[in-house]
Amino acid sequence: MIPSIKQSSGFNTIYKSYMIAFFIFLAAPLMVVAVFSFNDSQFPSFPWQGFTTDWFFSAEGEKIGIFFDSELLDSIWLSIGIAIVTTLLSISVACTNAFLFERFDFPGKSFLYMLMLLPLVIPGVLLGVSILVFSSEIANYLEDYWFIDLESLRPGLTLVIIGQFAFITTICTLIISARLKKFDRSLEEAALNLGASPLMAVFTVTVPFLKPAIVGAAIVSFLMSFENFNTTFMLVGSDAPLTVAMFERLREGSTPVLNAISLLLMLGSGVLAIINITMSKKSS
Amino acid sequence: MSNETTIDLACENISKHFSDFTAVDNISFTIPKGSFFSILGPSGCGKTTLLRMLAGFEQPSSGDILIKQKSMVDVPPNKRPVNMVFQHLALFPTMNVEENIGYGLRRQSVPKNEIVERVAAVLDRVGLAGSGTKRVEQLSGGQRQRIALARCLVLNPTLLLLDEPLGALDLKLREQMKIELKLLQKEFGTTFVYITHDQSEALVMSDQIAVMNKGKFEQVGTPHELYYQPATAFVAGFVGDSNRWQGNIESADSATVLVSTSDGLSFKAKIMGDEAMSAGNRVEIFVRPEAISVNRTAPSTATDNQLVCQVETILFDGAKSQIIAVEEESGGKITVTLPQTSDFANLQQGDTLYLNWSTEQTLCFIDSSRGA
Amino acid sequence: MSSLRVTSPFKLGLWLLLAPLCLWLVLLIILPHLELLVFSFTEPEDGSFTFGFYQEFFLEPLYWRTFVRTAVMSIMATILTLLIAFPVAFYIAKMLKGRSKGIVFAMCLIPFWVSELVRTFGWMILLRESGVISNFLQWSGMSAGPVELLYTDATIMLGLVYTSMLFMVVPLVSTLDSLDDSYIEAGYDLGGTNWNVLREIVIPHAVPGIVSGCIIVFMLSLGNYLTPVLLGGKDSLWFTEQIYTQFITRFNWEQGSAFGLLLLLLSSLIVWAGLKLSGQSFAKTMG
Repeated sequence: MIPSIKQSSGFNTIYKSYMIAFFIFLAAPLMVVAVFSFNDSQFPSFPWQGFTTDWFFSAEGEKIGIFFDSELLDSIWLSIGIAIVTTLLSISVACTNAFLFERFDFPGKSFLYMLMLLPLVIPGVLLGVSILVFSSEIANYLEDYWFIDLESLRPGLTLVIIGQFAFITTICTLIISARLKKFDRSLEEAALNLGASPLMAVFTVTVPFLKPAIVGAAIVSFLMSFENFNTTFMLVGSDAPLTVAMFERLREGSTPVLNAISLLLMLGSGVLAIINITMSKKSS
Repeated sequence: MSNETTIDLACENISKHFSDFTAVDNISFTIPKGSFFSILGPSGCGKTTLLRMLAGFEQPSSGDILIKQKSMVDVPPNKRPVNMVFQHLALFPTMNVEENIGYGLRRQSVPKNEIVERVAAVLDRVGLAGSGTKRVEQLSGGQRQRIALARCLVLNPTLLLLDEPLGALDLKLREQMKIELKLLQKEFGTTFVYITHDQSEALVMSDQIAVMNKGKFEQVGTPHELYYQPATAFVAGFVGDSNRWQGNIESADSATVLVSTSDGLSFKAKIMGDEAMSAGNRVEIFVRPEAISVNRTAPSTATDNQLVCQVETILFDGAKSQIIAVEEESGGKITVTLPQTSDFANLQQGDTLYLNWSTEQTLCFIDSSRGA
Repeated sequence: MSSLRVTSPFKLGLWLLLAPLCLWLVLLIILPHLELLVFSFTEPEDGSFTFGFYQEFFLEPLYWRTFVRTAVMSIMATILTLLIAFPVAFYIAKMLKGRSKGIVFAMCLIPFWVSELVRTFGWMILLRESGVISNFLQWSGMSAGPVELLYTDATIMLGLVYTSMLFMVVPLVSTLDSLDDSYIEAGYDLGGTNWNVLREIVIPHAVPGIVSGCIIVFMLSLGNYLTPVLLGGKDSLWFTEQIYTQFITRFNWEQGSAFGLLLLLLSSLIVWAGLKLSGQSFAKTMG
């Protein structure tokens, strides 16, 4: 089964065909999405009506291209904003978590570590509703007893950010901890030995070492936030981020403008993926 | 004490206990300015703990560390006039050579142009002028050693600590770096404290060596003293190669004893150590292979110790080749250096050898391993 | 005295680092779920204690059947994903070397960086009545009229397998990567057949990867919402949909909380059983 063990050519052919079939299976849905974004038709399906870039660039008429569809454009900006804030929050907490779990010993550490992993196994829908219920309870309490109306605790942007932060932090913590685990403590000692204060040693030696992991975690975090649906869907208010907006349109019946935006998303996430993969290769 | 100002480091009764284990046990010593001081011992003897206490990474449980007459116990590692070359060098992988060497200067807020000058100067002195912009991974093992040294020396430390820095190098490079380190130490005039488990490193480079075992210093002395006048059986066994026998004292006078070994040989030996010896004591005897003169014919004059043996095996290792010989009657074995003369060129297994050596070179210690 | 100097900033640092972790876990994970627990046992009219919402779940066949169906289909999807992914992971980890390995592995990863919504949308275009496959079948004469391939259980299964493939392939590749080739060679050298070597050397070594892959895939399938709703249509009967309906459509938060906790209980039970059976630990498997 490994190259050094010869197999019959039939076995090899079957195995290779299986791999090819697998990659066709992986690529097929993405390919059709991309191809139909250029179909000159109101529907992203056959018959093929000819090639057009209207679904990207047309400003008026029956076909409104993605660059002129203000509703979708707004939702893209909204998603980007949410993703940036979520990423900043998650990365900061993930860094402190990584140092806590890698550098300190304290009673209850393994229990806290388990709790920290928990968001990975809580279904996103559930995470969403639990935060929805909890924040609404607090909001009701504040309103009833203190007469404070805290809009940010009602479904809306703040809650979406909080909900995504709740599970993305775990993933970022794992990525950054893995890198910190590889850090040779004697480098920090060397910094102290050369006259750096403990805090200075961390910022001049440890943080630069962690940088590839921090950037990698930030990319993952940005995409996870940008593409999140389950948690977001439970917590949105009147402003819909991109995934929610696309979902609503998909249910109404879609035009190829959705293919166009999907193609853009694929290009965007593909570029980020390649950056991330090459970076993680470099750092290891 | 007129020479007080010339003492760079003084340790006074320092001990370090971990919960149920004593790593360093009440050690005192002083190191004069500008000397190369080695601490030699097997792994686990406490030498790394001692070094880490000097650097400030461990706190002594009791005792005091004085550098230039100032107590260091309450001084954090980043405020001590001590720099360290780490076992795996700990060169910062995120910085190039220049940035690595300038790290300590930047922490002292030295002006930028002065940093550039001093870094260039020290690179020149370690023989790596012009490689400031190289990345650490681009350097060879020997070059990395020199960068790690330069990174410390640029700060003009009172004391430079070295934690087995040659351990990771291959044999050839290690031999070369030994000489280079010694020369650099002479040139910079910095006091070096070097720890190692490799006796050859310690013997070649040091002015003074402390042999450490189980948290204590067994002996402090020059390489010559350690080799020829070991104070304890441990030092005799640890420093250099020796034939080693256990046996009982048959008879004793004020300076010499007659010992019969457990494998049936019988020697005249010199009393070492500070314990008194009398007949019946269990003792250990050490004879260096190169102290034994080897002949193929019986010598005409009698010496203190002589044996007639057969060659059992020849361990060929160039100039360091040895013979393992067996005494016929007792079956006792002895290792001697293979003389590099033409007489021995065709030496074969089973050939007869006449061995002899003096009492002076037969060192006898009370056997502490099984109790006297 | 000297030890104090060292430990006090250490202590301070510990508290400073513990604070964000505890705030995050307590405020966003523990308290919200406790709140769900309280909700699910509370009568909304007078705030009294009640089992009613759990009773409702067992009495209404639609609810518990959806629940069982979701669990069974998630388990099936997990097994199917494992069966499909294992040969792929083995090929990447053991048959390929160097550059081609990196490229093929990356080709495996990149599709999953794309939003699940886009991937599901792709399947809709492929499978619907006017879709690519239906057209292909008509064009090739294998079918007389349009074929609707969406809105069946098989479609949901396909979507679930596709969506979670990456989370099976990655842990499998990393554990198989750590299996030294010489073990496999030794297996053959000692007279093993393909099947022997696979069963006695490769699979036992890959158990940690299989377990963590299965746990993640199972959790993702169980908690999935998009795929069943979009590919399964109105009759997808997925339990997360029930939770959504109770919370958002019917505004029956108490019932929704009870459903949510049942789902959490089910997933914890199955994950726990999986770990017990395979002798793995949670922290090791996930971390």
